[in-house]
Amino acid sequence: MKLLTPELLDAFFATLSQRWELRLPILLPDGTRIIGSLIDGRLALHGGAVSGKPTAAFFPQQSTLLSVTDGTVEETPSPPPLFIVGFTPSDLASLRFIDRFFADGWRDDLYFTLRENAAIAALSGYCGLGGALIPLAGGDCDLEFFWDRSSWLVIAYSETGKKLIEDLPDAARTEVVELLRQTTPSLPDENETVIRAASLLLRADRVPDSFWAEIGDRCIACTGCNLACPTCTCFGVQDWRSANKTERSRMWDSCQLDGFMREAGGHNPLGSEAERTRRRIHHKLAADPQKWGEISCFLCGRCDAVCPTGIGILAVAGEIVARFA
Amino acid sequence: MTDTPLRKSLYLPTECEIISVTDLTPVEKLFRVRRTDGLPLGHLPGQFVQVSLLGWGEAPISVASSPTREGIFELGVRRVGALTSAMHTLQTGDTLGIRGPFGRAFDLSRLCGQDLILISGGCGLAPMRSLIQYCEDRPSDFGRVAILYGAKSPADRLFKDDLARWDASARFACSMTVDNISGGDCFSGSVGLITRLIPPLTFTPDTTIAAIIGPPAMYRAVIAELYKKGLSSSRIAVSLERQMRCGVGKCGHCSIEHLLCCQDGPVFWLNEIEHLRGAL
Repeated sequence: MKLLTPELLDAFFATLSQRWELRLPILLPDGTRIIGSLIDGRLALHGGAVSGKPTAAFFPQQSTLLSVTDGTVEETPSPPPLFIVGFTPSDLASLRFIDRFFADGWRDDLYFTLRENAAIAALSGYCGLGGALIPLAGGDCDLEFFWDRSSWLVIAYSETGKKLIEDLPDAARTEVVELLRQTTPSLPDENETVIRAASLLLRADRVPDSFWAEIGDRCIACTGCNLACPTCTCFGVQDWRSANKTERSRMWDSCQLDGFMREAGGHNPLGSEAERTRRRIHHKLAADPQKWGEISCFLCGRCDAVCPTGIGILAVAGEIVARFA
Repeated sequence: MTDTPLRKSLYLPTECEIISVTDLTPVEKLFRVRRTDGLPLGHLPGQFVQVSLLGWGEAPISVASSPTREGIFELGVRRVGALTSAMHTLQTGDTLGIRGPFGRAFDLSRLCGQDLILISGGCGLAPMRSLIQYCEDRPSDFGRVAILYGAKSPADRLFKDDLARWDASARFACSMTVDNISGGDCFSGSVGLITRLIPPLTFTPDTTIAAIIGPPAMYRAVIAELYKKGLSSSRIAVSLERQMRCGVGKCGHCSIEHLLCCQDGPVFWLNEIEHLRGAL
């Protein structure tokens, strides 16, 4: 374990930037905290989960599938190696889930070209919102930065991680982390209990259609939930034409939009807001557990934070449990 | 961090050349196609490909020919949107892009030795034609084969030459119906919904398998008639249409609860999906 004091942070990241493209938690001028480049805002390691989909580093909002200029297919340049800091333990669980999703069956080369060319660092310790404790991730990443209220204790979990921090001084406070590891609660928190209970009710078909009609009536189809969710992976494909160039891209899509499943012949399996809202929740809490063996909501809280009408997944799960348990 | 070897992307289409274009109806054309690299498509009856025209996008299109017809494959395409409208302007010698074949095909090993009832409506005959041709080319693999086809009108029928040939063949028992007929139409089949073709059939449920491909409204009515004849859901195969955007199980547009139509289907056994919301 290594020690990274606040005054060494700038030099540490400056050294890494010689070989890596850095994506770090930054504070934008409007006060939004995202994972981005230091060109766009100042470093902001403290504050807990960042806004926006952290998995966007590997599944960007728009990716080029094919680019043709004057009839010639352009070679896609190899991306630079990425060093990404800012995943919470919940974000790492989301990343692990979509790693499995994109690898299953037809392996998605676009995703893994970025994913396998990146090193990931988690943030934990007393760096949550208002100094709240973020539990130790303990793995599923290359590095973990643990804020002990005065310095970052840096733990490497991979060979890449070890090389990244080999020049940092050793930490002498191992016992602090060990103590926290032991005191990290092993019982599920209240939110997890609610999500699990809602999942069981959905899988037992205990939630009537009238409930989804109610929730659907409250949805304004802003799609914020899907755009912020780290395990939402749906996309559409679109061609863009200019004078001498055509580009085919994939872009994030939302199951909350009327056209999401509409077929060429007009048939729409998700033709009402009730059906689309049910799909959003049911997919995470019932369909994914059946297909993948686990709920695909890892309680990052982003959809509940962005939803203007209060129907994020945790809020809806809470209503399900309150009314149908 | 690992080095990823360079290889062709999953999303890059393979260039194919159009060998011929035939009008099937005023809004449907048949494209006979081959890969320009000379390789076979390698499909099975029931599978689909993602067809693309640069600048117009991609769409899932079922393969309308049997893999036993080597060297070429055929696509029956209805003109319904920008991509398919652009496709309808293509001519012999033009090229298009293909990804695939994708999806679960008809389970030929289970169909082998069975009597078959192949039921299609509208442009569902295009994917069914792949299986019909397969039966035509491997007659010893299957028992009796009944072909049931329904269309809106005699003029809307696809593959009229094939239908006439299958009707005349001792290999197949063909029944056809249309929703509407007008004076001047030359048509010897029934008038009415396709469900009316099922009650007259005689078959042994334990040695018969039915396959259904058609518009969404057709499935439940046809299945109800097959149930009345004693056929179980494990002996009914359905091919479902969904708007697959990727074909490889990633885009999410074709999900049916926990299943993906592009990977777990498009051909399903009815007992796999009849209980799933939105499947039929």
